[in-house]
Amino acid sequence: MEEIRGQVKEDKVELVVSGRIDSTNAAAAGEEFDRILEGVTPRPLYIDASELEYISSAGLRLILRLRKSFEDITITGTSSEIYEILDMTGFTQMMTVEKAYKVVSIEGCEVIGRGANGTVYRIDGDNVVKVYNNPDALDEIQHEREVARLAMILGVPTAISYDVVRVGNSYGSVFELLDAKSFSKILAQHPEKMDWCVEEYVEMLKTIHGTVVPEGKLPDMRETAIGWAHFVKDYLPEEAGEKLVSMVEAIPHDDHMIHGDYHTKNLELVGDEVLLIDMDTLAVGHPIFELGSMFNAYIGFSELDPQIILDFQGFDHETAQEFWAKTLVEYLGTDNKAVVRSVEDKARIIGYTRLIRRSIRRNGLETEEGRRLIDHWKAELLQLLSHTESLEFTRNELDIEADTENLDAVLAFVDERLEAANCPMKAKMQIDLAVEEIFVNIANYAYRPNKGRAVIRTEVRENPLEVTLTFLDSGAPYDPLAKEDPDITLAVQDRQIGGLGIFLVKQTMDDVKYEYKNGRNILTLTKNL
Amino acid sequence: MEIIKTAEDKKLAVEVKGRLDTTTAPELEAALKESMEGIEELTLNFAELEYISSAGLRVLLATQKAMQGKGEMIVTGVNDIVMEVFEVTGFCDILNIAK
Repeated sequence: MEEIRGQVKEDKVELVVSGRIDSTNAAAAGEEFDRILEGVTPRPLYIDASELEYISSAGLRLILRLRKSFEDITITGTSSEIYEILDMTGFTQMMTVEKAYKVVSIEGCEVIGRGANGTVYRIDGDNVVKVYNNPDALDEIQHEREVARLAMILGVPTAISYDVVRVGNSYGSVFELLDAKSFSKILAQHPEKMDWCVEEYVEMLKTIHGTVVPEGKLPDMRETAIGWAHFVKDYLPEEAGEKLVSMVEAIPHDDHMIHGDYHTKNLELVGDEVLLIDMDTLAVGHPIFELGSMFNAYIGFSELDPQIILDFQGFDHETAQEFWAKTLVEYLGTDNKAVVRSVEDKARIIGYTRLIRRSIRRNGLETEEGRRLIDHWKAELLQLLSHTESLEFTRNELDIEADTENLDAVLAFVDERLEAANCPMKAKMQIDLAVEEIFVNIANYAYRPNKGRAVIRTEVRENPLEVTLTFLDSGAPYDPLAKEDPDITLAVQDRQIGGLGIFLVKQTMDDVKYEYKNGRNILTLTKNL
Repeated sequence: MEIIKTAEDKKLAVEVKGRLDTTTAPELEAALKESMEGIEELTLNFAELEYISSAGLRVLLATQKAMQGKGEMIVTGVNDIVMEVFEVTGFCDILNIAK
């Protein structure tokens, strides 16, 4: 049985079609349409198909007939079956056809994450749903899907939502996450895995920060932060406020990606793969902005109330402090206390600025608790501003065109870090030699016949002095260590000219490791001094 | 890198100063090539050579091969850092290094 109802409004016509429409009742249905639409001038026509169970070709012809008088037709609420019929017959190309949202219940489901704009629930073993706080979140969902797709195309491992559903009065996006476990959970349950977590967490962070984003695809964090600084300036003594604004403005534009909300709840271990989630805050900008929001996640938010971090991350304040400290050392590639401290100070300036603005905008000044927090953050911020002159920091990574012409720039980059660590002359020469051999190999062979980029990362640990150099390229997979060593005992006429470079590297470094991961050749050299 | 050549009859003395690496090795190779005709004794003075990489070693090996059967190649004034590279690569057995 079919039922057709209709309502003619000034700016549109709404038809509701339910039941089955096939050859037995199409004629009757046609008459019903004619009755409703008699004398109605063209205007947008909406067909609500949420209760339509079946439509045969006789029914489809009725819709085609409507199209003669009403060009602008939208069919809404179609079930997957009806959508498939409309898609196969080409109707989805002739008119707008909107699918019905599947309804998902989260009753009794485990909460696996709670972010600024939504809550993530596990709906079954394989799937999670992120339910948005904003009841009208379709634009937000669309944005997040787009940026997640962009990140994935640019090489950042992430989960992409495959469906949008209704959850009560809200919308949700569904992701497949097989047996996923967040890094917060791992840290809470297995404190002994701290160092492994730090390594993976920093590796992902470096991947994000090493990703160049095409212009205009993501918002610029620098502009956002300049806005925060201007806002907070009005609540600081004049001189300090001016200094804050000028330091944020002095941070150079950077077209590398930042996540914007990079804490351990947004990193998931899925099988043996590490995935980044919660992509809606993706932006471009200098990594100090990321470090600022990371400081807030582990320290800033919970500095005066350790319970907050326990509620939010599931691990305690001490774990958060240790994780943050180790992350900084790993990310900066140095355990020099003064260097790490100075970068942390810069991150705290960004962090407190953001916290003060956020709190004031949420009427923090109107409660005693709010004022206590804001006063604390302001005092810390003023103290930091008094001894900090710039928010930039020296990075331990050089991302450069792999061309032998850039060898001097690469050596200068490495030598600057070796000299800062008081590396002895002889070891410096050996390291230079290794850098030259590896970089020249990448420049000559990795992308042949094209050109590409190489990343050189330096890590220096001071007690005892140990230097680690990592070379990354996205060229053809090539394990230089697999090559047989040249026979160095041969007489001069039998000696081969090639193959000496990598041999020299193996002989002069204490450890040389190769791996191919996420589409990149990674060669790591370690020298103990 | 700086190269100073002194030719005398069938003898050629070449002083190499600075760094002998990927960037500079082709210069040394070219400088040697244009002066090797008829040379029977080649002396490479490395007293002020600070650094050598495999690109430099390749030039030395090619030059040593070119001298085979024609005369002698002697390397002098090698410092510790460069010497270690020669040792590690077996070049100390191929080259005629004057102490």
